Amino acid sequence: MEQKKYWKGLEELHNTKEHQEIVNNEFREDLPFEESESLLNATTPRRDFLKYLGFTTAAATIAASCEIPVKKAIPYVNKPEEITPGVPNYYASTYAVDGEFVPLVVKTREGRPIKVDGNELSSITGTSSTARVQGSVLSLYDAARLRFPTIAGAEATWSELDKQVGAALAGLGGAPIVLLTSTIISPSTKKVIAGFQAKYPSFRHVTYDAVSYSGMLLANEASYGKRALPAYHFENAKVVVSLNADFLGTWLNPVEYSKQYGATRKIDEKKPEMSKHFHFESMMSVTGANADERYTHKPSQTGDIALALLNAVGGSVSAPAISDKRLADGIQKAAKALLANNGKSIVVAGSNDVNVQIIVNAINSQIGANGTTIDWNSTVNYRQGIDSEMEQLVKDLNAGAVGGLFIYGVNPSYDYYNAQAFTEGLKKTKLTVSFNSHKDETSENVKFAAPAHHYLESWGDAEGRTGYFSFIQPTIAPLFKTRAFEATLLAWSGNTTAWEDFLKNEWIAKLGSQEAWDKALQDGVIEPATAPALGGASFAGNVAEAAAKIGSIKKSGKDALELVLYEKVAIGNGKEANNPWLQEMPDPITRATWDNYAVISNKLAKTFGSELGDDYEINNDKTVLKIKANGKEVLLPLLILPGIHPEVIAIAVGYGRNANAGKAAAGVGKNVYNFVSFNGTTRDFYSPEVAVEKTNQTYEIGVTQTHNSYEGRPIIKETTLEEFIKNPEEVNEDRKELDQFGYDPKNPHDTTSNFVKNGTLYPDVHQYQGIKWGMSIDLNTCFGCGACTIACQAENNVSVVGKEQVIKAHEMHWLRIDRYFGGTDVDNPEVVFQPMLCQHCDNAPCENVCPVAATNHSSEGINQMAYNRCIGTRYCANNCPYKVRRFNWRDWNGADSFANNLYDVGGMNDDLTRMVLNPDVVVRSRGVMEKCSFCVQKLQDAKLTAKKAGRPLKDGEARTACQLACSADAIVFGNVNDKESRIYKVRNEEQKSRMYYVLEQLHVLPSINYLAKIRNKDAEKAEGKKEEHAAHHEA
Amino acid sequence: MHLKYESTLREPLVDGEKNYHQVTEDIISPIEGKPGKLWYVGFFISVALLLWGVFSVTWEVYYGTGVWNLNKTIGWGWDITNFVWWVGIGHAGTLISAILLLFRQGWRTGVNRAAEAMTIFAVMCAGQFPIFHMGRVWMAFFVLPYPNTRGPLWVNFNSPLLWDVFAISTYFTVSLLFWYSGLLPDFATVRDRAKTKLRKLLYGVASFGWTGSAKHWQRHEALSLVLAGLSTPLVLSVHTIVSFDFATSVIPGWHTTIFPPYFVAGAIFSGFAMVQTLLIIVRKVLSLEDYITMGHMEAMNKVIVLTGSVVGCAYLTELFMAWYAAVPYEFATFYKYRAAGPLGWSYWIMMTCNVITPQVFWFRKMRRNIVVTFVMSIIVNIGMWFERFVIICTSLYRDYLPSSWSYYRPSWPEVGFYMGTFGLFFTCFFLFAKYFPVIAVAEIKFVLKTTGESFKRDNMEKLEPLSDEQFAHDHAHHHDDHGHAGHAVAHAAHN
Repeated sequence: MEQKKYWKGLEELHNTKEHQEIVNNEFREDLPFEESESLLNATTPRRDFLKYLGFTTAAATIAASCEIPVKKAIPYVNKPEEITPGVPNYYASTYAVDGEFVPLVVKTREGRPIKVDGNELSSITGTSSTARVQGSVLSLYDAARLRFPTIAGAEATWSELDKQVGAALAGLGGAPIVLLTSTIISPSTKKVIAGFQAKYPSFRHVTYDAVSYSGMLLANEASYGKRALPAYHFENAKVVVSLNADFLGTWLNPVEYSKQYGATRKIDEKKPEMSKHFHFESMMSVTGANADERYTHKPSQTGDIALALLNAVGGSVSAPAISDKRLADGIQKAAKALLANNGKSIVVAGSNDVNVQIIVNAINSQIGANGTTIDWNSTVNYRQGIDSEMEQLVKDLNAGAVGGLFIYGVNPSYDYYNAQAFTEGLKKTKLTVSFNSHKDETSENVKFAAPAHHYLESWGDAEGRTGYFSFIQPTIAPLFKTRAFEATLLAWSGNTTAWEDFLKNEWIAKLGSQEAWDKALQDGVIEPATAPALGGASFAGNVAEAAAKIGSIKKSGKDALELVLYEKVAIGNGKEANNPWLQEMPDPITRATWDNYAVISNKLAKTFGSELGDDYEINNDKTVLKIKANGKEVLLPLLILPGIHPEVIAIAVGYGRNANAGKAAAGVGKNVYNFVSFNGTTRDFYSPEVAVEKTNQTYEIGVTQTHNSYEGRPIIKETTLEEFIKNPEEVNEDRKELDQFGYDPKNPHDTTSNFVKNGTLYPDVHQYQGIKWGMSIDLNTCFGCGACTIACQAENNVSVVGKEQVIKAHEMHWLRIDRYFGGTDVDNPEVVFQPMLCQHCDNAPCENVCPVAATNHSSEGINQMAYNRCIGTRYCANNCPYKVRRFNWRDWNGADSFANNLYDVGGMNDDLTRMVLNPDVVVRSRGVMEKCSFCVQKLQDAKLTAKKAGRPLKDGEARTACQLACSADAIVFGNVNDKESRIYKVRNEEQKSRMYYVLEQLHVLPSINYLAKIRNKDAEKAEGKKEEHAAHHEA
Repeated sequence: MHLKYESTLREPLVDGEKNYHQVTEDIISPIEGKPGKLWYVGFFISVALLLWGVFSVTWEVYYGTGVWNLNKTIGWGWDITNFVWWVGIGHAGTLISAILLLFRQGWRTGVNRAAEAMTIFAVMCAGQFPIFHMGRVWMAFFVLPYPNTRGPLWVNFNSPLLWDVFAISTYFTVSLLFWYSGLLPDFATVRDRAKTKLRKLLYGVASFGWTGSAKHWQRHEALSLVLAGLSTPLVLSVHTIVSFDFATSVIPGWHTTIFPPYFVAGAIFSGFAMVQTLLIIVRKVLSLEDYITMGHMEAMNKVIVLTGSVVGCAYLTELFMAWYAAVPYEFATFYKYRAAGPLGWSYWIMMTCNVITPQVFWFRKMRRNIVVTFVMSIIVNIGMWFERFVIICTSLYRDYLPSSWSYYRPSWPEVGFYMGTFGLFFTCFFLFAKYFPVIAVAEIKFVLKTTGESFKRDNMEKLEPLSDEQFAHDHAHHHDDHGHAGHAVAHAAHN
């Protein structure tokens, strides 16, 4: 068949010459690529138009998207061998401030310390820490620190300072030189001081503790012949009786004690038992809040209670009359428990009265505590100050009997009860030197300021307990022109050895070799190979004399008010008041931030026209009271606290620092140290005489939790030990209702169970093939101390918002500790603490409401936030039943692109202070939502380490910041898919009866479970429990 | 066509001696003259309010949402309250223009133009709140699903907020089209009467070359029907979707299945109230009492008492369910913290304004009393504002965990923002009243000859005495004088 030829046009048919040209030339016209010099004059053809359009659009897009200014990072010229950018280094160090002893591991990134955690190798504190320890890393970058030595307020060089002080020392002509310090627990520092003393025989060292324990020291001297503090072993105690000793919050070394005490509060479900804790106090402390039986009294009654207790345990004293029946019964009950557990019980007292402490020693000796729960073989060095020495010093200063005064680590012009006398004496003294880090109330009156390093810049050692050493090594080069106190003192003693060499030589001499010293520094701690046996001591105190003296303690009349001063967990004695993290940490009990206030009972408040209830809850402005005691007066707002004795007013010390203390501390609260009095032997931190009157002023307090009761809702589950033993399942009775939805109580974590699958349209959306993170929080061992809150803040760059914003409920804490009061008696409530953080729900209500999918679910069960995607509708926060999502209401940290809208109250955005930020965690901009991430950066780090080593992740390698900080090990975290993990065992084997999820019935499937709280109190007490919670509206 | 008989018992929709020309004169001439003093005063106040709103919002955008008094517990307050309130108000316009058109309710012609304008302005006001309540409003475009270079990263189709984006934008678009297509013949009328060049040009452009040909009319009618058909589901769906913002959540007080009908009824309730507020002023100021008659007022008051009662039933149903469901959290929300508690006062304002006071409209005298109607329309809108406030805030402020309970008072930028949307609304409405025919001229003419007072008198009264047989004999089989309505109107448009 012939191939037929088709043609498209006549041109093709005729195949003209023009047609052939056209066919051969695919592009018939020249493409107008004009790139000549005539570009600007060219008439723009169509294709160029598109080209230019494309170019300008692309250029405009690129230009528009490059809005972020370029900031140059300067690389190392010679990179230090040990620093790899992006990889943290860890160094052992020690928090040894004011006698507290917490061996640490410091995390540094690119040469700057950003986080501290307890040193796992320490048997005393382990990985635990306190809020203040966690906050200490921020104090390093405190912008208010002195940056150079000064002479009469003017900047000087160290050599000039050395010259002038040297000349002044020489010119003293044998007049006494006094070194005034807080408790020093460093053996080497003490040696340096001794070296100085050797050069200047007229020298003496006075130890002054702002909050004094000299009553205990003197009582121990009188009772046992040792002016020392014993090592307490709460872990051995079945019965703990505390008379005002806040050993979980502020007493001596709370990390150590809460770790020990925590061990006795853990419940082994197979054999449930726990210690029983009686607490007697005036104000409610963290420790009191955790007690099984708690009784309140006036502060002046402490001695009577001690005597009554001694009498009840068989001591040879007569019991004073105690009119409060509940209190009297409580003493009897405590005594009964103590006697029943002879050798397994302990009594501690927070009183600074020698005689009260002697009676307490007598009780301890009566109940066989010495050698079992109280160790006299190893004593602790936590506090060493003797009040009378300080009293004498102030007298000497005013008499002109002191030639030179060196001040290190103390601030008596602020925290001494008679600060005025001290300051006047100081001014009369010829040579005054301060080594303090700040130009504080004391240092502003000295001639020479020789600022010492922060501990993270220093070398040093510490001996917390006899034979238990921990070391301090610099984790950063000194930020300012400061010099170690020891180095200065060495220089002034004419010793030319550098301080670090001095320290090294000391320890090489003790340990034998450089290698041993290196290892000691690396480990951070040296402890006895085997824990030394506990030793007793025989009591030799004069009980009768002490009892007589207690009898003459001044007391207020019936219905008259008394004043008690206390330390807050966060702020303590006020030394670290310029720490925005600590200022903003909600007080564990009052939930208030950024202030001190007059804590009073509801009953007392009614007389001032305030009372608990809706009005009180929704209005932050509180009535201001005028409080007069010891001839001094102060104006403070009232704050109502159920659980404080109705005739007691409690005020926290540590506030009211002056402007030199720094931006965060200045003007916050009032200084009430002037209410302290000296009783001839020791300082009393209470006043039996106080006059209070209402004023017409009001004052706003930033409280983060305004409602006190959990309204009987099953978000908190609790029972008594007795009932739990009787029927372990009872506490979780209500979970059985979930049965009808296919819930399998025997296998609550089986994700195939019907309860999990029912109630969602998408049962198979989240499959967790590999890791599935989960957390368990034991309400029985959460004491509410708040260390986790600050640890979380430090780890995750959580912003500080300031008091005004706390009042607006804009605080940012990812982890808060809810504190609820229960019980029927508003004066003696039961307290429960519940750490609340993102529950990482597997069926998260926040995730499905976000219009832009900014919050979503990871394959490991983490509810994650993509900050860059968030547009800030806040729907997720509204729909979060746990209310743990935190919105960036303002520009807290300069992370948005608007100029001059920074909202920084605490001074967190100084270039210096920003060095504390964790580079692994994004700083969130204004307008985005944030919340707990389960420390995802730490989890990723642990996973990568395991991956590099070519092995699966081991349990315990990935730990969250809150978990590490918790002294009582209340938080267990891990991979619930790993059957060997602790979290799996807690949920499925060890704590099945107590385990519950908060708001489980919502079917949000949280990844955090709680373990019900068990109170070791009498059953008849708990009878009314069922209705009590709901009933307690007032609280 | 046939005689369009309307009983004389039925109230005329246009009062007075009107012919087509008179209608045009009455409605169009205000556009051509200078506005009165009152208009200037009102307009100035509106613009001032608008500027105050712009300042408040700028302040908020610059310094962050933290200048509002919302907090960790209460993430939405006045912002979303105002959003729902404005959206709800818009519903009356759509209901009048769409549903009443489909049901051939002649009385809608007097009020539909203004009601639709109100819808559009209200939706514009409403839209400001979801936009500016965002923490990062400059990223607001993230809510739009479009192919992008971020993955591509899509929006979350599970989120009711996203449904809102679609619902509100669709609603606005359809309402605008509907309103504007209705305006075309009237703009053409203005154009044809124009004596200045500028007016001729602008109204000429605005009328899209409308000539009034039969084809134009036919297409116009068809388009109106189609848009009415499209709008009808929107009356129900928009507020249903807005209610999903709450109903799909887990918060007690929000998580309830009754919300869609309850919200829709509430929306119509508040919308009609707002129409009343506006029209009572408009008819007075522009002397349009002949077109917006007491009959109109009464009809709308009937809708108000109906929807008010529906809403009241919903409130009681909620209370019943909160008890019957035996969920302690929901029970507490309703009985302890909504009907009582620190925010309980807002619940009782809502109950009083929405359920109790509208019952006066069971009485005809009250329905036909201008003062009562005006006062009630304000009360209803206050009540409906509080309804949204109650739903949003009294559910959030005391939810599951008592530790987070909080309280809420608005700050000045929040109040300023709300006032600003009033400024926006009334600025638009004043401009509308000045430059647009506030009553649909063409549609009035459509009904004039059957329901106009004089026509009824002249044409219908003659018929009334006729017996049925006589009437059938005279009028059933041949053309009457009235002709095709379309012709009449087409003709009228040029008068």
